Amino acid sequence: MGRPRAFDTDQAVAAAAVLFAAHGFEGTSVDDLVSATGVHRGSLYKVFGSKRSLHLTTLRAHLEGEIRPAVEAVAGITDPGQALETAVARFDDGPAAGLLLLAAAERAPHDPEVAALVEEGVTALEGALRPSHGDDAPQLASTVLGARLRLRARPADPKEY
Amino acid sequence: MALISIDRERNLLIAEMQGLDKLWALKSRLEIPLAHVRGATHDPGIAHEPKGVRVGGTHLPGVITAGRFRRDGEWVFWDVKNPEKTVVVELADEESYDRLVVEVEDPRAAVALIEGALARDA
Repeated sequence: MGRPRAFDTDQAVAAAAVLFAAHGFEGTSVDDLVSATGVHRGSLYKVFGSKRSLHLTTLRAHLEGEIRPAVEAVAGITDPGQALETAVARFDDGPAAGLLLLAAAERAPHDPEVAALVEEGVTALEGALRPSHGDDAPQLASTVLGARLRLRARPADPKEY
Repeated sequence: MALISIDRERNLLIAEMQGLDKLWALKSRLEIPLAHVRGATHDPGIAHEPKGVRVGGTHLPGVITAGRFRRDGEWVFWDVKNPEKTVVVELADEESYDRLVVEVEDPRAAVALIEGALARDA
């Protein structure tokens, strides 16, 4: 039923991730998603089912494509200072930087599935900091999250409102 | 306006058209197995898109869209007067409608009710 899928799902997910990371879940309307992905509203619903389901898909893709390579890089570093620096620079970064952090603050308290994905990302970060920081890894993971939050709170370009 | 509820014993999503909407939509009640419900989204913007061809019901642009509509090969059930409170319920291929586009009293609560029921079902 319906028209055949005539768009690249991965591209649509990537474009949606950038929107969710910039404006949050509630702040991103289906109109926004239709314009940014270039996908017809009917097709978006047909493929993803709902905005929530699309948001979960962007989070999973972000965990796989951004968070995982970042924590793997951190896990390979034994120098504590360098590991921490790399984690702060690369965790939850990329085109949809902050998607995990924003989901943690906005959606996780209301949505167990989002909470589980956030937990997965943070646990991976803890694990990656273990080779360099041992039992202090959980505390250092919190430091990384706090540092990322402070980086995000700093406007990148004051002209951009 | 539709009243959306979940029947947990029979695992159904129920949409009951309120008041005269029963007449405008030519439908008083829809029952969908939860397994055929793919998700719910608050989407005020959908009411501003073309509705397609009215197959049964009422369409006074800007006033009311109610009943069965066909667009791009899809069947859509509408019951909307106020676009701001529109919720889109996407259905599985087994259902006769591809999606329901209905106005509800509290969109946030309706979406949470439906998505919560699906998460529990999964």
